[in-house]
Amino acid sequence: MKHYYASAQIIANLLKWILLVSLLAVALLPLLWLLVSSLRTNLELQTNPFGWPEKLQWVNYAKALAMASLPRLLLNSVVVAASAVILNSIVTAMASFILSRERFRGRDVLYTVFTAGVLVPVISFMVPYFSFITKSGLYNTLLALVLVYTAVNIPVSIFLVTAFMKSIPRELEEASVIDGCGFFKRFSVIILPLSRSGLVTAATFCFIYSWNEFLMAMLLTSSIESRTIQLGIKFFTSQFITDYASMYAAVIITIIPSIVGYVFLHDKIIGGLTAGGVKG
Amino acid sequence: MLKKSRLIALLLMLCLVFPLIAQGQVENAPAKEIELRWASIWVGNDSKAPAVEALVAEYNAKNAGKIKVVVEPQPDYNAYEQKVRTSLAAGQAPADIFTIKFNPTTATFYQSNLLMDFAKVMDTPWKQSFDAGSIEQSTVDGMLKSLPMETAILPIWYNMDAFKKAGISELPTTIEGMFAAFDKLKAAGITPASQMTGDTNAWTSMIWFSHFAVSLGGTNVWDKSFTDPAFVEAAKLTKRMIVEYSTTDAVGLGAGGSGGHFLAGRTAVFSNGPWYAGRADLAATPFFNSIKIAGLPAAGSTKDFMISRLQANICAASSKDKAREAAIVDFLKFLTSAPSISKIAETSGAMFAIKTDYRPVKALQKQFYDVAAAAKTTAFDLEAALGAEVTLEFAQQLGALALGRISAEEFCALVDRKIER
Amino acid sequence: MQAVGTQRSRVWGARVLFLLPVSILFFFFFIYPFLFTIYTSFTSWRGIGSMKFNGLANYTKLLGDPTFRKALGNNVIWALSQGFIQVPLACLVAMILVRKPHFWRSLRTIYYLPNVISTVALAMVWVAIYNVEGPLNAILGALFGAEKRNWLGNPDTALFAVIFQTVIYIGYFMIILLASAMNIPRSLYEAAEIDGASTFQQELNITLPMLRGSLITTMTLAMAYGMRHFESTFLMTGGGPAYATTTMGIDLYLKMDALRYSEASTAGVFLILMGTVVITVLRKIFGSSDPMSEMAQ
Repeated sequence: MKHYYASAQIIANLLKWILLVSLLAVALLPLLWLLVSSLRTNLELQTNPFGWPEKLQWVNYAKALAMASLPRLLLNSVVVAASAVILNSIVTAMASFILSRERFRGRDVLYTVFTAGVLVPVISFMVPYFSFITKSGLYNTLLALVLVYTAVNIPVSIFLVTAFMKSIPRELEEASVIDGCGFFKRFSVIILPLSRSGLVTAATFCFIYSWNEFLMAMLLTSSIESRTIQLGIKFFTSQFITDYASMYAAVIITIIPSIVGYVFLHDKIIGGLTAGGVKG
Repeated sequence: MLKKSRLIALLLMLCLVFPLIAQGQVENAPAKEIELRWASIWVGNDSKAPAVEALVAEYNAKNAGKIKVVVEPQPDYNAYEQKVRTSLAAGQAPADIFTIKFNPTTATFYQSNLLMDFAKVMDTPWKQSFDAGSIEQSTVDGMLKSLPMETAILPIWYNMDAFKKAGISELPTTIEGMFAAFDKLKAAGITPASQMTGDTNAWTSMIWFSHFAVSLGGTNVWDKSFTDPAFVEAAKLTKRMIVEYSTTDAVGLGAGGSGGHFLAGRTAVFSNGPWYAGRADLAATPFFNSIKIAGLPAAGSTKDFMISRLQANICAASSKDKAREAAIVDFLKFLTSAPSISKIAETSGAMFAIKTDYRPVKALQKQFYDVAAAAKTTAFDLEAALGAEVTLEFAQQLGALALGRISAEEFCALVDRKIER
Repeated sequence: MQAVGTQRSRVWGARVLFLLPVSILFFFFFIYPFLFTIYTSFTSWRGIGSMKFNGLANYTKLLGDPTFRKALGNNVIWALSQGFIQVPLACLVAMILVRKPHFWRSLRTIYYLPNVISTVALAMVWVAIYNVEGPLNAILGALFGAEKRNWLGNPDTALFAVIFQTVIYIGYFMIILLASAMNIPRSLYEAAEIDGASTFQQELNITLPMLRGSLITTMTLAMAYGMRHFESTFLMTGGGPAYATTTMGIDLYLKMDALRYSEASTAGVFLILMGTVVITVLRKIFGSSDPMSEMAQ
């Protein structure tokens, strides 16, 4: 019996690592390709997309770094993404608390309405968004982008955070009420810390979305003061020609902050939660 | 712990406020300076960007205190078109000055009263500086709400080095001769032509189809029903090109791939507009000096024509403020003056609807001007003649045609359904 | 004391206060645009010019359009693929990683990396991979002697190709499921270990039931994304060839390109309706209860 067990174990282990490694290769491939391509010339890229550089074209990075207003664009992206994440997290936490821990008539209807927003392709709302933003005088401001990104991520965030909040045992809350916790204390001392992994996950998604978003940023802004780095990358494109090599270098440069953001936000915070057991 | 995060949150909120204040808030400029916003695609990487920037600076210097033109860069072309459509649909002009690609779809913008009608403000000398045909093409129901500026011809590009390798010294003059030459190229191991059915307009193949169709059906072929025998025959010829005389990845291929094959020397024949001539990666190819620009051998009875189109027309926002209107007119007169256009043409190799004395010096660009001048008549390409929606259907179904899933007649019928008459 | 009365109104006041910010944002960025969309779907509006009411004409045209019906079918395939292939795969990886094998931290980071790179970059890479003369055909040819296929240019393989390219990137759903899996109390596993349960038995009897709620959440989300899918397909094939890979989102986008705003609105309304139907049916089948929230209530 033990014999069979052991070889089954080995096969299972092997399969497990085959799966992990193949998914790893697939995940790393785009990033590696971008890195390699950013060191080639445009002619090389046009004639043979999958090849090694003949000579390492560091000039592409020089060109990318010389991008007009790069520091300002990066700053704008950081401000917009950070603000959107903070705002989204706050409003989501508050609303999810009510939707998951409070019972009242119409709660489920409200929840369904909010989360139905996940189905909306934001492209279909371009005209009303443009109309609303220009009519409220927010055209060409960072605030416009912050509000749009916060709002667009509400359905997903509520969906996720409510699910996490629902899984907190009621006994903990009841115990705290007995101990004299009021409404706000229940929220900030009990529920909020325990749903941290859900909040951080939602925040990560919101951050990545806001960092990479391009369409609305292009639509709702017109001057460098309120534009984000994704528009900066597009400066290597034009109506007819795309300077892919420099563009890839710029893409690599802009990926670094989002990776940093992800590692900090997600890995460190959630990683910290797993030390030891969560619940006894 | 809580206090720390509160502090961070506050700091970040402050970060939010700072840019809001720092935004180019309203004019500190002297009162009465009119600020014109130009949502310009001729920025960044575009070959016309340096000349246009210099011209704007020149104009602003000349008119300091009275008129100031501010360029709002629009580097991504598709997103720019999206912005123009969206803002017009939301009831607003995208800027004081902007450009459009003129075709039946964008011609509907003329129905909006957000655009300035140049027919009402144009004086005769200014009007006559434009090519008359282009003005006429840009006029709809007596309204001229966009000025033709950049034009283009879409000829065929021949890599004569490749032809020489296959033992062909002269370009074929008949269609049969062309296919024979292509067979020779294949025998020499060179794929004859770049073709593609991908992107939203199957660009390269769309140009070939246009050459065939106009030759078979005349320069007014686009007015005919798409089930006309001229189109059916053109479809069959295009299918033959894709299936027999092009690369294995032609179906579904995009413009980048199509151009890439030509740049790599894998294909010998290509098609594109004058803007492609200024590319650095093209100039770096070994066969750059052997590129010949010409038309296709005539497939039908119409000969000596060239496919040409209006590439960019300038529009302006209509304004009740007479001073503003005058300022826009003044700037556009400057921008479309012969000296200005010559400057832009010189550094970009682009072609324009304004008559100038400029003649290019660089060999490849010179060929474009010569070919355009030598053509007895011109005709639109499919996209310029029938608009974006029809072209999309063309591109989508071209793949099916090439794979033999539908016949040429079915192909033409499907495209015809999308044409609004 | 009026304790009860003021308590109740205080609680209600707090509830309203907490729901207010979300509601305001949701109203301006979802409700108002949706009402606008519904309204325009009953008109004939080409972006320029006036909106003339034309009743259900757009809807009948949409339902009679074979391209849109194909798009709808494709979206359902997308929803099922993302919900029943991508999510289970993500779940499998999450279950493996929660047991902290070697390098699990790096793996967790790397699996999410493709989501950090923009969709545009990802699409470009895969278009190159799928090219007839590209690496995929080269590898398949070397390993299996397979013939070269034009993956994205052939209507028979295009849909499979674009779906495959999405489904193997499991990072997004993996981190949701991983976060849930890490909340499962270790004590349950320790007890099972003492009872002599194998890893497989532990996963089957502890992890999966505890993850049930999270799985339903994630699958619902994945199916919603499938129903509204647009970007990566549009970047890779533009909806072609011959509309083989088109989706409702792409159809909507192309209609806006052609200035057919009313018809785009109709497609949008339909998309949201279909999505809601699919999701509601799903919730009815699987129920929205799960062990962890049962513990909570």
